[in-house]
Amino acid sequence: MRKRLLGEASRRATLVVLGLIWLFPAYLIIITAIRPADSFNPSSAWIPSGHLGLWANVAKAWTASAIGQSLGSSLLYSVAAPLLACLIGALAGYAIVVLRLRHGFFWFMLIFGGTVFPSQMLLIPLFVSYAKVGLYDNRIGMIIIYTAISAPFAAFVMRNFFTNVAFSIFEAARMDGASTLRIFAQLYLPLARTALAAVFILEFTFVWNDLLFGLTLTQSPGTRPVMTALAALQSDVYAGTPVPVALAAGLIVSLPPIVLFLATQRFFARGLALGQL
Amino acid sequence: MLLLEHPKVLRRSLPSGRRRRPPLLGRFRFGYVSPAVLLVAVLLYLPFLWTVYQSFTTYSGLGPTTWAGLANYRELLHDPVLLTAVWNTLLWVAGTLVLPVALGLLVAVLSFNIRGASWYRLPFLLPYAMSGTGVAVAWSIILQHGGIANSLLSALGLPGGGESFLLYAPQNTLVMILASTWQQLGVNALLFVVGLQSIPREPIEAARIDGASGWTMFRKIYWPLLAPLTAVVVGLSLVASLKTFDIVWVMTQGGPGTSSQTLAIAMYRDTFVADQYGYGSAIAVVLTVVSGLISFVYLRRQLGSRKEIGA
Repeated sequence: MRKRLLGEASRRATLVVLGLIWLFPAYLIIITAIRPADSFNPSSAWIPSGHLGLWANVAKAWTASAIGQSLGSSLLYSVAAPLLACLIGALAGYAIVVLRLRHGFFWFMLIFGGTVFPSQMLLIPLFVSYAKVGLYDNRIGMIIIYTAISAPFAAFVMRNFFTNVAFSIFEAARMDGASTLRIFAQLYLPLARTALAAVFILEFTFVWNDLLFGLTLTQSPGTRPVMTALAALQSDVYAGTPVPVALAAGLIVSLPPIVLFLATQRFFARGLALGQL
Repeated sequence: MLLLEHPKVLRRSLPSGRRRRPPLLGRFRFGYVSPAVLLVAVLLYLPFLWTVYQSFTTYSGLGPTTWAGLANYRELLHDPVLLTAVWNTLLWVAGTLVLPVALGLLVAVLSFNIRGASWYRLPFLLPYAMSGTGVAVAWSIILQHGGIANSLLSALGLPGGGESFLLYAPQNTLVMILASTWQQLGVNALLFVVGLQSIPREPIEAARIDGASGWTMFRKIYWPLLAPLTAVVVGLSLVASLKTFDIVWVMTQGGPGTSSQTLAIAMYRDTFVADQYGYGSAIAVVLTVVSGLISFVYLRRQLGSRKEIGA
């Protein structure tokens, strides 16, 4: 018994030491992001400034680097594409599971197989063909590709979800004369809202954090997603953008997925029981 | 899968008097899957096949596409720049296994079953809230020459105050692996905690009664029982590390020169900076084949171990 207690004390000590190491960079990032832009000096960066410059830094990042404009684009992409993907995925899952589409398993595997392609395999043809059909540097083009990438996962989750819905619901509604589309929209979609919310949040985060497609398929400040603008800000630091401004931008840009996740945590608590956390 | 089949049986089971009514399952069932099928076919499958084809051609973005056979692949084998990229990618793969995966397991095991465990794990989860790009921006500011890291090391009287972390190989790749570890460790730890929680209590209690503790306990009980989950975490991390892009692109763009390029960066630069579409495609194909092989091996091992348990 004594040995176990001692073991636990040393476990806690190791965790505290490791945890402090992990917190230190986070501390550096936060105190630098909130200090006035002109008060940054690498040789005393770990001492917090007495003045709060966060809002001025954010304002500067907003205007100077087009972060504000790209936030709007990113918000559009990461809301529209997951919504469309959820709808398209739910339709597919409904047809395969509830309507018992012929060769349903084949179609499911075909759709789900879309998750195995690395982005690198898609970039060149997308870039070339987007340029040809006028979707390059175009908001619609970005929504289309993000939807295509998000749809297979949505179809996967919705197929699993609909498998657990009693078929008698469908039969009863059908006997009452409802069309299959109406049953989908008025019965199955509302039933699946928890699963849809979970899918939406995961896809939102994915689209929001994407850098590669934004870098490849957009160019102008009006269409570039926010991660691309943030990445550009990094090279601007060498060209004179104050360090606190860049870090404040990095923090602000990270906020939306966190806020969304915290606001909808109960959906996750229900779905993915992550135990003690 | 039972639910997917036998549409005919269902239709036939309808009472014959209602034959005039539309069939139970509707008439335009394919209409419901067609948006998803169309989308993945046009935007995922077609580009994939196009890239495979293009890897056997030369194309510069303008002018004609000419068939080149295996020339791009032959060039791959003799390109010293690409050799650096392969070497760096291997460093990323090894580094990812040693740091985020092993340290994640350590944190999970240390914090397992102690009071306030989630508080002890919180510091490791915080960095995951930032995007890869955000983490990269922050770390490149910390690590740049004459930056915070240099000043801090000299203030503490440690070596490395004058070091240019991002300007020379292989230390630029190594510090980027550290930055990525800082972000990824928490998620791996969380996955391992979920795995630990699913281990049945009986073998643990039995081993404890037999006097096992500490390292022996971990080696003989936890480690073998965690194996299926470890395979998943390792597999996911391997594939992700092979495709490392965000952190490297933001922190060094693969430079200085080509010293910190990974395969994913080389693919991007050769294609969109150097306009060698065929060659870029060949790199993408190699990347896909390698990560596909790894996933396959891991998937098979995982399914294999499941079969053993079932038998």
